[in-house]
Amino acid sequence: MVSPIKGAVFTAEGSTREIILAFIKQALGKDCFDAVLIPAKAPEGDSFSYLLIQNETILKDAHPICPIMPVQGAKALHSLTGRGKGKKRIAALLRPCEVRATVELFKLGQVDLENISLISIDCPGALPLADWVEDPQKAETVFLEVLKGEASESLRPVCQICDKFSTTGAEDLHIGTLGAKSGSIFLIPRSPKGEGILEKVGLPAKEDISGWEQTVNSLTEKRKGERKKFLEEFKSKATGLDNLLDTFSKCINCHNCMRVCPICYCRQCFFDSANMKFTCEDYLDRAETMGGLRLPPETLLFHIGRMLHMSLSCVSCGACEDACPTSVPVAQVFSLVGNKNQEEFDYVPGKSLDEPPPLRVYEEEEFEEVEQSCAGTSAKQEAQNA
Amino acid sequence: MAKKIGVYVCECGTNIAEKVDIDKVIAAVSPIKDVEVAERHKLLCSDGGKEFIKQSIAEHGLTHVVVAACSPKQHEVTFMNVCEQAGINPQLSQLANIREQCAWVTSSAEEATDKAIRQIRAAISRVKYHAPLKKKEVVVSPDVLVIGGGIAGIKASQLLAAPDRKVYLVEKASSLGGKVKSFSKLFTNMESGSSLITQEIKSLLDNKNIEVLTESEVEQILGFLGNFEVKVIRKAEGKEQNFNVGAVVLATGFELFDPKGLPQYGYGKLDDVYTSLEFEEMNIPDGPTGGKVLLKNGKPPESVAIIHCVGREEKDYCSKVCCLYSFKFDRMLQSQLPGVKVSHFYSDLCIPGKSFQKFYEGTKEMGVEFVRSAKTEVTGNGKGLTVKYETEFGKQDSSTTDMVILLPAMESSGDAQKFAEMLNIPLDEKGFLVEEHQLLSPVSSAVEGIFVVGCAQGPQSISESIVQSEAAAGKILSALVPGRKLELEVRVSEISESLCLGCKTCIDVCPYGAITFDETRRISVVNEVLCHGCGNCAAACPSGAARLKHFTFPQIYQELKEVLR
Repeated sequence: MVSPIKGAVFTAEGSTREIILAFIKQALGKDCFDAVLIPAKAPEGDSFSYLLIQNETILKDAHPICPIMPVQGAKALHSLTGRGKGKKRIAALLRPCEVRATVELFKLGQVDLENISLISIDCPGALPLADWVEDPQKAETVFLEVLKGEASESLRPVCQICDKFSTTGAEDLHIGTLGAKSGSIFLIPRSPKGEGILEKVGLPAKEDISGWEQTVNSLTEKRKGERKKFLEEFKSKATGLDNLLDTFSKCINCHNCMRVCPICYCRQCFFDSANMKFTCEDYLDRAETMGGLRLPPETLLFHIGRMLHMSLSCVSCGACEDACPTSVPVAQVFSLVGNKNQEEFDYVPGKSLDEPPPLRVYEEEEFEEVEQSCAGTSAKQEAQNA
Repeated sequence: MAKKIGVYVCECGTNIAEKVDIDKVIAAVSPIKDVEVAERHKLLCSDGGKEFIKQSIAEHGLTHVVVAACSPKQHEVTFMNVCEQAGINPQLSQLANIREQCAWVTSSAEEATDKAIRQIRAAISRVKYHAPLKKKEVVVSPDVLVIGGGIAGIKASQLLAAPDRKVYLVEKASSLGGKVKSFSKLFTNMESGSSLITQEIKSLLDNKNIEVLTESEVEQILGFLGNFEVKVIRKAEGKEQNFNVGAVVLATGFELFDPKGLPQYGYGKLDDVYTSLEFEEMNIPDGPTGGKVLLKNGKPPESVAIIHCVGREEKDYCSKVCCLYSFKFDRMLQSQLPGVKVSHFYSDLCIPGKSFQKFYEGTKEMGVEFVRSAKTEVTGNGKGLTVKYETEFGKQDSSTTDMVILLPAMESSGDAQKFAEMLNIPLDEKGFLVEEHQLLSPVSSAVEGIFVVGCAQGPQSISESIVQSEAAAGKILSALVPGRKLELEVRVSEISESLCLGCKTCIDVCPYGAITFDETRRISVVNEVLCHGCGNCAAACPSGAARLKHFTFPQIYQELKEVLR
């Protein structure tokens, strides 16, 4: 490891949520930024959404650590800065997976971060959206348990196996809650912009925060083990054409998973385009060849196509699975495929703003083992033919 | 309009007919919808074969053509031309490769026949989706960019400039003349180099067809023979200048190997140890000593030692002109300082050609000493210099001297690397730009339309450099005839304005610099003149906005569907 991370300790009255809001309020007051993008409870009290706040009195409704993820924060930032930056400086409070998706969007020119301060928070995970919709009060009680480090089995499956729930290194400022004493949070600058914020609020990052670091590290190790175990088990259920067909058999082709995915930013999905509309004759031909054709067509191909497009940038945020009305484990499949593909390129999506996406990097020698195995296959075939 | 497709299956002598049951193939594809005629022929690429297709097209009033024969690499253009001559847009044809990809590689005749049927079905299915892309031509630019204002670049510019051909000569220094400007004398005729180059520069500046851009650097060159887009930065004015040329001559010259890297010669530490170029500069009238050969203490030297091959071992090549110009130094020293003692320390002498032997012998007759030596070192004690060396017979020896002139190796200038990267021209292991073929194509580069002349290619004498400039000029004059047209690739990429999200992935993967970003519309835009149709952008575009004409999704889908059916 490099030199230990230093941070600041911010103390205030109240719950962790109130302490974070007190800090944001102070930072707004000290002119660290002009506006805040933050999850807030809807007036009806039955949902949460991202709010762009310039007036600090509205901050009281904000829930920086909220029990569900109805909108992926990167998606919110994309809608805000997709066409370039604005004049004002905005702080965006995001979960680590939302920061990582933002970083991926940045690399693809879909967000402008010049006037944005990315602030991430140690993430306890989120509850399945369906559970919240069914009984918000019960869900809120469960989430209080989660915040105490219990009832982790009620979190969304991808949250249960998330090993990147804390600082990613690509944000400007990280808020550490794990291992913090009651009445305090850790503020960890991760960029000169973040250091600037702490300087302005008069909290230079000088404190030893190795306690927080140790808590994060040990939970990370534990989650890594759980993730590995889960993906290995899941792999046997979801790999191969037959398993994939089974997994996606409940898919009703609503494409919700695509609409909520922060990385799926195409203006028009290829699968909605004229390219994927064929004549009746074409479909009859296919039905004849395959013995039958599921309609509407390309249901599985849509998911495979999305895997091809998304998996290198997939941050396992789980938005797709939350949005699925028939409970297809989309996020789990994407985690599995993403993991494998990202490992092949030694790429961690969202780790750094400077790291180019693998498909933009030309390597003269790459995947030699694949080339060799292809050569091996054709040699084998020749031997058989002879 | 109804589609009428003609399908022609080639026997290719016995190449295809031996493995593929062509009658069975014809029987299988004839009933396919829109197929008007399906026929076999012994050799479609022969004159008779081509005529056969043309007549058939006319007879049946065909709209599309499928030829099942060999690799498109071999005869795609042949059959496209046949279509064009018969009045069909050549893009409305498709070649199914049933020779290399079928007959030659499939062992069972039955399987080969089945595969050929699938391939032809695929071609029929695909060709219906072809678009009649229009032929495009650009008039070649007869103008030429010459990079480097040394003697090689100057001569090339003079030869190429004409009323119908403009030459842009770009030099990064503030004045023209390169290294030759500092040569007070030239071998073997002992004429003044500086006055020769001054004359050449004058005639160059008088030429209205040459635009000289000094203190300028070439920033970007995109395109191909007949059509390069050039961006030059004029450093003095801080301005950018863009223009179009048909060819580029690289005359980026050389630098001397820095003897500081070899401490045994004392260069940089001892007084009165000079490189050959510093000695040249000492001899020109407007040089640092007003043209006089002087020691640091202001007195003329009584003895001078010339050390050969400085850096030859490190560079691992002979710079081939050092011996010759050192004999010139002997004459310069003797005429300015009669009676001066001159000694050469050398291990080998390189005196090629018909006139240099005499030049060398003349030097010896003047009383110049030649000492065959190895492991030469220069030391100083504050009063004078001592050259220590090992003799031919392995003995240690030494001699004192007032002045030392080192003959360092010539090495590639740093710009060679820059242009190699910019233009995709290989560098050799010594860092020089590589000619296309050492013997057969000695001034062309691996990129058509880019030429490499003079010391950019390796150590050369002045006359050799000029010969190369003349050769390059000859090649350019014959290739870039004013008014000549170039046919452009029509199967180029296009980017949908409504689908592009401006992620710039395509810009990163385009090897031809053919895509630019429109900041106002926030989308990528293809320059069709620069696009070669490689398809990288279409493959990499995450939002399906970039597509390659003639290789669109429906075309490939229709083809694959029939192969896999």
